[in-house]
Amino acid sequence: MRAFLQRFCEREALLALGCIVSGLVFSIRSPYFATPDNLLTIARNSTELLLIGLGMTLLLGIGGIDVSVGSVLGLAAIGIGRLLEAGITPALAALAGPVAGLALGGVTASVVIFGRIPAIVATLGLLGVYRAGIFLALGGSWLSGLPVGLTNLLAVRFFGLPVSVLVIALAYGAVFVAVRFTPFGAHLLAIGNSEAKARLAGIGVRRTQVAAFVISGALCGLAASFYVATYGNVEMTIGATLALEAVAAVVLGGTAVTGGRISLLGTAFGVILLRLLQNGLLLAGVPSLWQPVVTGLLLLLVLGAEALSGRLPLGRLRPSALGVARRAGLR
Amino acid sequence: MHTHSKVALLTAALLAVSSTLALAADKKVAFVPQIIGIPYFDAMKAGGEEAAAKFGLDFIYQGPVDTNPVDQMQIVQNLIDQGVNAVAVSVLDASSIAPVVEAAKAKHVTLFTSDSDAPKSGRALYVAQATDEGLGNAIIDEMVRRVGEYAKIGIVSGEATASNLNAWIGFMQARAKAKYPKLKLLEPQYAGGTAQRAAQIATDLMTANPDLKGLIGVASTTCPGVGQAIETAGKIGKVIGTGYCSPNTARAYLKSGSFGYSVLWDPKELGYLTVWAGEQLIDGKEIPATTTPEGMNHPVTYDAQTGVLLLGEPAVFTAQNVDNYKF
Repeated sequence: MRAFLQRFCEREALLALGCIVSGLVFSIRSPYFATPDNLLTIARNSTELLLIGLGMTLLLGIGGIDVSVGSVLGLAAIGIGRLLEAGITPALAALAGPVAGLALGGVTASVVIFGRIPAIVATLGLLGVYRAGIFLALGGSWLSGLPVGLTNLLAVRFFGLPVSVLVIALAYGAVFVAVRFTPFGAHLLAIGNSEAKARLAGIGVRRTQVAAFVISGALCGLAASFYVATYGNVEMTIGATLALEAVAAVVLGGTAVTGGRISLLGTAFGVILLRLLQNGLLLAGVPSLWQPVVTGLLLLLVLGAEALSGRLPLGRLRPSALGVARRAGLR
Repeated sequence: MHTHSKVALLTAALLAVSSTLALAADKKVAFVPQIIGIPYFDAMKAGGEEAAAKFGLDFIYQGPVDTNPVDQMQIVQNLIDQGVNAVAVSVLDASSIAPVVEAAKAKHVTLFTSDSDAPKSGRALYVAQATDEGLGNAIIDEMVRRVGEYAKIGIVSGEATASNLNAWIGFMQARAKAKYPKLKLLEPQYAGGTAQRAAQIATDLMTANPDLKGLIGVASTTCPGVGQAIETAGKIGKVIGTGYCSPNTARAYLKSGSFGYSVLWDPKELGYLTVWAGEQLIDGKEIPATTTPEGMNHPVTYDAQTGVLLLGEPAVFTAQNVDNYKF
């Protein structure tokens, strides 16, 4: 158990160190980096990705993935925008985000689980469908200059904390409790380790999978509420980069791409490191063209080191493939 | 029985021919957009209808429901078969249009391009909205008018691979160098396709350059990001935002003051000029090098060498005039 805990802490400590070191380098390179305003900017830029990354952590943990998360955010954002235009109370519009995301998560879950299509293929297909949906719903023009009611809600403070900080803390707290202290967490990781074995152990595999997709959808919808509040705008390309950024941050955070191991804190650090690098590189005068190169190299470095140290559970691929074959044989 | 149906067919054919003849008095000009149902092409359609009413023409507007080049060519082919006199196309795929141009010539239909060109296709002429140089110059001139020559300006572009955006940036830099040597244009930053990333970059540029006076959003997707970033940073009035974006996209930011102006062209005028050009082509009239078509309030230029009919200087949208435009 202690070794297990140590392993978990390793990656998070490494990422925290990464944040601190790059933060120091950037402060030396730019006098404007370590200012309250700029740190607040980094935090604000991280909001949506923190929420989407949380859902993605569960999905990767269960051995799934969803590459359509950005479009789910987009569709939810259009819903929120239309409601705001119709003059609905901002608080209700903000709630509409997670509700719409929840529904779309249900759609994704049905296609993946009941359609028996591998998650990456199914969500790639859904990505195309949702993108077309966004185009049709926007009708070629964008929602811009939305009523500022929702934006004003961002400034509301609870116990001195901005509402975004509170919501993110609550979301991470709730998922943490669910994963650590309820059977859901054990089921999730068991399925991620081996779906076949989990099924043999009597775990409700489908139920757990549906839950993971629906939670992820709701979190995308919640992110949409923050998106609309922050930018007051829904453009055609909304969220186009979010899925890949989320996968990068989650994997960076120590969640196994092959499932069976997750780290919520690692995801949070992964997101913050990504956003911090984007911000700091620009402030340090590095052309923005290089920014994806740096994050890409970082990802390769971390995963490469992991594979070399033998921590990446490559061996696990075989038994689960065997499980699939066995199941296919049984049917 | 057989004879009867043959007679019926013949009668129908005769009727069809005679009805075409009866309508032949009305010249038919068609315009095929890249996609229907979006405000930009709706505006071109409105301009085309206005010109058709003015010059007594039949105007047909048909286009694909998504930006599919094969569907577009099919629609153009159908219009040729229907026997329109001239058809204008906002070309989706320049490499695939040449056979349709041939088919049009065989049926004595004049095919020309508008809004998006296929220079090597053999089209009769191209109705161009604005030149890259005109757009680059206009955005810099308007900026200098507002912030003066001693200013630092940031540039937020979209994809680094977009040739039109890079051409505009190139002309901005050339204009600044030639006319405003004291103006400092920062290296362009590339935000990709999302407003979110554009807002991040715009914010970071303002943080890194506290003396920044202006921010130019080159891709239309970067405009909302730039506008929102200026609002969130509380820099309205201190930093002037602008970009190449439609009045609908820029409206909120023009009104809040985060945008000083926006530069583009007026697609309604472009549609008007397209139908006017169609009539000149049908009548076989030569277009002079400079002329002001009836119903327009500024001259257009025609280069017989390249076959480009240019709408003219780009339009500048501001808080005052933005509500006159609906695209």
